[in-house]
Amino acid sequence: MANSAIDVPPRGGFSFDLCRRNEMLTKKGVNPPSFRKTGTTIVGLIFQDGVILGADTRATEGPIVCDKNCEKIHYMAPNIYCCGAGTAADTEAVTDMVSSQLQLHRYHTGRESRVVTALTLLKKHLFNYQGYVQAALVLGGVDCTGPHLHTIYPHGSTDTLPFATMGSGSLAAMAIFESKYKEGLTRDEGIQLVVEAICSGIFNDLGSGSNVDVCVITKGHKEYLRNHLLPNPRTFVSSKGYSFAKKTEVLLTKITPLKEKVEVIEGGDAMEE
Amino acid sequence: MSISEYNGSALVAMVGKNCFAIASDRRLGVQLQTIATDFQRIYKIHDRLLVGLAGLATDAQTLYQRLVFRHKLYQLREERDMKPETFASLVSALLYEKRFGPYFCQPVIAGLSDEDKPFICTMDSIGAKELAKDFVVAGTASESLYGACEAMFKPDMEPEELFETVSQALLASVDRDCLSGWGGHVYIVTPTEIKERILKGRMD
Amino acid sequence: MKLDTSGFESTAPLFGASSELRDGFSNAPSFDLPVTADFDEFQKEAKATLKHAKGTTTLAFIFKEGVMVAADSRASMGGYISSQSVKKIIEINPYMLGTMAGGAADCQFWHRNLGIKCRLHELANKRRISVTGASKLLANILYSYRGMGLSVGTMIAGWDETGPGLYYVDSEGGRLKGTRFSVGSGSPYAYGVLDSGYQFDMSVDEAAELARRAIYHATFRDAASGGVASVYYVGPNGWKKLSGDDVGELHYKYYPVMPSTVEQEMVEVAGQ
Repeated sequence: MANSAIDVPPRGGFSFDLCRRNEMLTKKGVNPPSFRKTGTTIVGLIFQDGVILGADTRATEGPIVCDKNCEKIHYMAPNIYCCGAGTAADTEAVTDMVSSQLQLHRYHTGRESRVVTALTLLKKHLFNYQGYVQAALVLGGVDCTGPHLHTIYPHGSTDTLPFATMGSGSLAAMAIFESKYKEGLTRDEGIQLVVEAICSGIFNDLGSGSNVDVCVITKGHKEYLRNHLLPNPRTFVSSKGYSFAKKTEVLLTKITPLKEKVEVIEGGDAMEE
Repeated sequence: MSISEYNGSALVAMVGKNCFAIASDRRLGVQLQTIATDFQRIYKIHDRLLVGLAGLATDAQTLYQRLVFRHKLYQLREERDMKPETFASLVSALLYEKRFGPYFCQPVIAGLSDEDKPFICTMDSIGAKELAKDFVVAGTASESLYGACEAMFKPDMEPEELFETVSQALLASVDRDCLSGWGGHVYIVTPTEIKERILKGRMD
Repeated sequence: MKLDTSGFESTAPLFGASSELRDGFSNAPSFDLPVTADFDEFQKEAKATLKHAKGTTTLAFIFKEGVMVAADSRASMGGYISSQSVKKIIEINPYMLGTMAGGAADCQFWHRNLGIKCRLHELANKRRISVTGASKLLANILYSYRGMGLSVGTMIAGWDETGPGLYYVDSEGGRLKGTRFSVGSGSPYAYGVLDSGYQFDMSVDEAAELARRAIYHATFRDAASGGVASVYYVGPNGWKKLSGDDVGELHYKYYPVMPSTVEQEMVEVAGQ
C-alpha cells in the first residue's frame, strides 16, 4: 500500500490489507467475530404467467435473531428479482453490484434486461471467489423469452428449475413443493403454495422465522408483497409500555442548539453585473 | 476469546417522535483490565448524524477517521451534509471492501433526515445493513440490550421519555456484562438541539 | 481406576479399625477416574468447562487484632455476569474462614469437606484444629488431585491457640503461610492498595476500611470483579461479618459527584 495515505474513494474490488493482521490475531487465539447470516428459507416457482419468489424475514447472528423483519428479496431489474441466503453482507453486496451492472447495460442497449444476463453476471462473480463470497441465490424474472427461475450456489454453479428452494429451510420448503407443485398454477394458487413453503421453513427450521415476503413477476408487471403474511405477531406487548419509578441519575448535561437551516432562495436577487 | 470482546463496548440507538437517541457505555478495557472510564465511542459526523462504533477500539478509531475523511470530501464536492441513508451506504461499502480482512467493528448509525425523520441502522463487521424502525444495538452487551430494549421500547416517544428509556435499557444491560459499563453517554437529537448527557452508573 | 488418597488421612481412627459411620466422612473422597483413551485431552476439556466464577478478588491479612478477610461477590461466565451476590467467603467453623477463587463448585465442595474434617478432628482430639493443620488437610487433598482439573485458589484464615493464622492454598498443591494475601483476577489491584496502606498496628476499623478500599479498587479496575464488598474479621472470639457494601454505591462515597441534574451547560453554536 504505497499510496494508502491518499485514500481515494472510487476504487472498487476487495481490499486485503488487514488480512495479515487478522490472520496473526487468529493464530494468537483471538477469534474473529461471526457475521450476520440470513439462515433462511427462500423459494421460487414458475406459474402460468410468470414467476413467484418468496422469503422469510429472519436475520441471525449465531443464536441471536438480530433482525426480525429483514428484506431478502432483492431488486435486480424492474423485471427481475433475486432472493438471497447466506452471509447477509455478501447477498446484499452481490445483488446490488449486479443490479447496477444491469442498469448500466440497459442504459447502453435500451432494452429490458434478461434473466440469463443477471444469472451470468452473478455466477461469474461467485465462481471467481471460489465460494468465499457466501451467497446462495434464487433468481427469478420474466423477460422477452418468457419466465425464468434459477438457483445459484455460492461456488457459482447454477440450476434452471420450475420450482426451487434455498437456505437452511430449503428442505422443509422443498417437501411442500415436491408434494404439491404442478404445472400451470394460477396466480393465487402459486402465491398460496409459496406461502405454504415459506411457512414450512419458518415453523420447522430454526434459522428461519417471522414473516413471509412474496414477489410476483409477470410479463411487464411485478408485485412486491412485503410482509404478505404475518404468522408470528408479538404476543408480549403491553399497551401501557414501561415506565420508570426513579429518574435516571445524570452527571452532566450539555445542550447544543442546532443552526437553523438556511433556505437558499433560488432566483432571488439577480447577481450584479 | 473473541476479538470483539477485547475492548468491550455497549451501544444502543432508539427512535422517538421526530427525534432519536444514541447511547454508549464509557469503558475502554484491555480484556478484563479497565483502562479508561471516559471513553468516547459515539462520534459526530455532522449536527444531525452520529455514529457509534463498537468492537475493537483501534479499528473503530481508524474507521472513524476514514469516515470523517470521506464525509468531508462529500461536503466539499456537494456543498451539503450527507443524508443518514447515504452515510449508512458509505459505511457499508467501506466495511464490505474489507470482506476478507474486516475491521472488527460493529457500527451503529443514527441520524435525522432533512424532513426530521429519524434513521437508525446497524451493521456487522462486513457491512450487512440492518435498518430497524425501533431500536438497534451492538457490542459485548448486545444480548442483554436486545432483551431490555425489546421490553422497554414503545413507539413515538418524546425526547425526555426516550432519554429515560434508552438510559435505563443501557444501564440495566451493562450491569449484566463484565466488559462494558462504568457509566453511560447518551445523545438525544431533536430537530432543534443535541442534548448530550453523562449517566451515573455502577463502576464495577 | 481409582485414586487412593488414604495416605493423606490425618484423623486417627476413633472406633477401632473401621466404622461405617465414620468412613463416609473422614476418608478423603475419591473419584472414579474416567475411562478414556486420551486422558490428557479429557483433562484439558474438563478444565475448559470449569470456567464459572473465574474472575474474583479476595484478600486477607493479619494485623495486630487478628485477621481481616474480604471479597467481592461477582460470578461471571465469559463476559456475562451470572450473579452479583455470591458468597465468596465461606464459613468453615466459628473460628475459621475460607475464601473462594477459581471454580465455584470446587471451592464450595472442598471447603465443606474441610469443615467436616475439622469438626471430626475437634471431636477426636477435644480441641479445635489449628489453622496450620486445617490448611494442610486441604492442601493434601488438592495435591492428590493435582493436574486433574480442579481449580481452587483459597485462603484459610482463622484464630487458633497460637493466635491469628493465615494460609494460601491452591489446586496446584501450593500452600503458603503469610501475613498478606490476595487471590483472583483482581488481586494485582488489591495488592496495590493493600501494600501501600498496610500497617501491623491498625485498629479493627482501620483494617476493615483498608480491606474494603482494596476490594473496591479491584472491582473498579477488574471487569470480572464487582457486586458487594464484604469484610469479615476473625479475632480471639471467632469471626464476625463487619460490613457488606454495594460497590456501586461505594464508588460515589469515595468519589462524590455533584448532583448536577439541573445544571445545564449552554454551548454556543460554532461560527455564530
